[in-house]
Amino acid sequence: MDLRVRLGKLELRNPIILASGILGLSGSQLRRVGEYGFGGLTTKSYTIEARRGYDTPILAYVKCGLLNAVGLENPGYRELARVRESLKDVGIPIIVSIAGSKVDEFTTIASYVDELGFNAIELNLSCPHVEGMGLELGDDPNYVYKIVSGVSSIVSIPVYVKIGLHRDIMATVGKSLDGGAEGITAINTIRALAIDVYARKPVLSNVYGGLSGPAIHPIAVRIVYDIYREYGIPIIGVGGVSSWDDVIEFILAGASAVGVGTVIASKGLDVVREILDGIKTYMMDEGFKELSELIGYANK
Amino acid sequence: MYLTGYDISILRFTWGVIEDILNHSKSIKSFNIRVREPRDLDPGQFIMLWIPGLEEVPLSPSYYDGSLMRITVMKRGPTTEAIHRLRIGDRVFYRGPFGNGFKVSNKGRYLLVGGGYGASPIIYTAHKIREYGYEAMYVEGVKTESDALFIDEAKSLGLDTILVTEDGSSGIKGLVTDYIEEVINEYDYLLGCGPEGMLLKLLELCNRYGVECQLSFEAIVKCGVGICGSCELYNTGLLVCRDGPVFDSRILSRYLGGV
Repeated sequence: MDLRVRLGKLELRNPIILASGILGLSGSQLRRVGEYGFGGLTTKSYTIEARRGYDTPILAYVKCGLLNAVGLENPGYRELARVRESLKDVGIPIIVSIAGSKVDEFTTIASYVDELGFNAIELNLSCPHVEGMGLELGDDPNYVYKIVSGVSSIVSIPVYVKIGLHRDIMATVGKSLDGGAEGITAINTIRALAIDVYARKPVLSNVYGGLSGPAIHPIAVRIVYDIYREYGIPIIGVGGVSSWDDVIEFILAGASAVGVGTVIASKGLDVVREILDGIKTYMMDEGFKELSELIGYANK
Repeated sequence: MYLTGYDISILRFTWGVIEDILNHSKSIKSFNIRVREPRDLDPGQFIMLWIPGLEEVPLSPSYYDGSLMRITVMKRGPTTEAIHRLRIGDRVFYRGPFGNGFKVSNKGRYLLVGGGYGASPIIYTAHKIREYGYEAMYVEGVKTESDALFIDEAKSLGLDTILVTEDGSSGIKGLVTDYIEEVINEYDYLLGCGPEGMLLKLLELCNRYGVECQLSFEAIVKCGVGICGSCELYNTGLLVCRDGPVFDSRILSRYLGGV
């Protein structure tokens, strides 16, 4: 059973990637997560300056998932040197997520990431809860082009653009590719709101948060399917994966790799092994020897 | 450890009503809260108490029986000051319990050590240990006599009880860890909660004298379920909210080395 997949220029031992935002705050956290069998890891989004993030509550429970508004907490991009150092023998590709509000912020961090020897860059153009540093950027296809082309022209490693529910998703994807992106990460959390009925107030200090978990999975599958159909490019499918069949579904829709996040809160880090075992059993039962045969299968 | 699953519906807020308030000192109060929804809460586990409009505060209750929960809160910032302004009859929002608490199901002699308001989960643990019928000594270390929190309560549980004050205003004068070193040999298990320096010293003593310990660490907790990464213990990759807040000597020695 061969679980290896090719994600553009990257070779992954399996398609499961730690999605950005989960435990990627420090090298030691990523190191620990790396011991659980992931095919790749994505850091939290790094910005030029350190950000302390929002006040608590930053997480709200909803029946169909979780709402978060962490506020892009991170120690600032200079800290990436230490992250790289502590991950030097981890043996799986590390993707660095970058957030910013201006083209030169993205390019400054991206060239540093390239210099440090990380394996790929993910441009977070879709954070739904930090004004001026996310979703709005991705909503403007011309600005997307400026950011992506600015970054792609100065780095040697692959660039992925993480998209969300933008006004015109295909335009955002198209301009990302025109700008030199190798592929797309789809999708980010979706802006949402939860109110406590006894406190009679929004739960999150930031009021709005990003919805993750099972509720967004079918939306993410739709978007991955559409992007693959239109462009046939490398895609990291992310959104509401809670078990192995959600991963297979993303792959059949056209994803070459699949991010997991929220499920770690409920099932723990060992969920990776559970997912990989499920995939192997499925492949055996259904007569597939190589997982890569399944990429985009439902789209053909 | 983090390998295991978790019921994340504990992230849903519930609430209780304040029945009684006890002023320990200018900066520390205890609140007895009648809870609306019984949730199992082991000693050492923590809740996130929420003041709508302000922040959440991680607190490890100083007593819980499924219906009555006592929290002991030190004034440290805007949210804890707001908690201190709450009155009898006010509603208190919280979620949890989160994390791993103290394990006290093994038979043996327990040495319980609380430093400052870190005595909160320790006195709740003392209640549990008495339910099991095991022997224990309760030691509380504070700066001065008026900071003492649960000495009478520990005595009423029938425990050997020692107060250690830094200024010698009551009980034994000195540092609580110096006193512990004198008596640690007589015990099988040490359970501790308090300032970081005290915990690291206790870990060192337990390693030196071959006593198994469980220590509760404090951190800035944000998400509570081990995904945001804000509460990492030093640079170990361990998360106070999910892997802790109570860590045993085996884990601490493995990750912290020979501290």
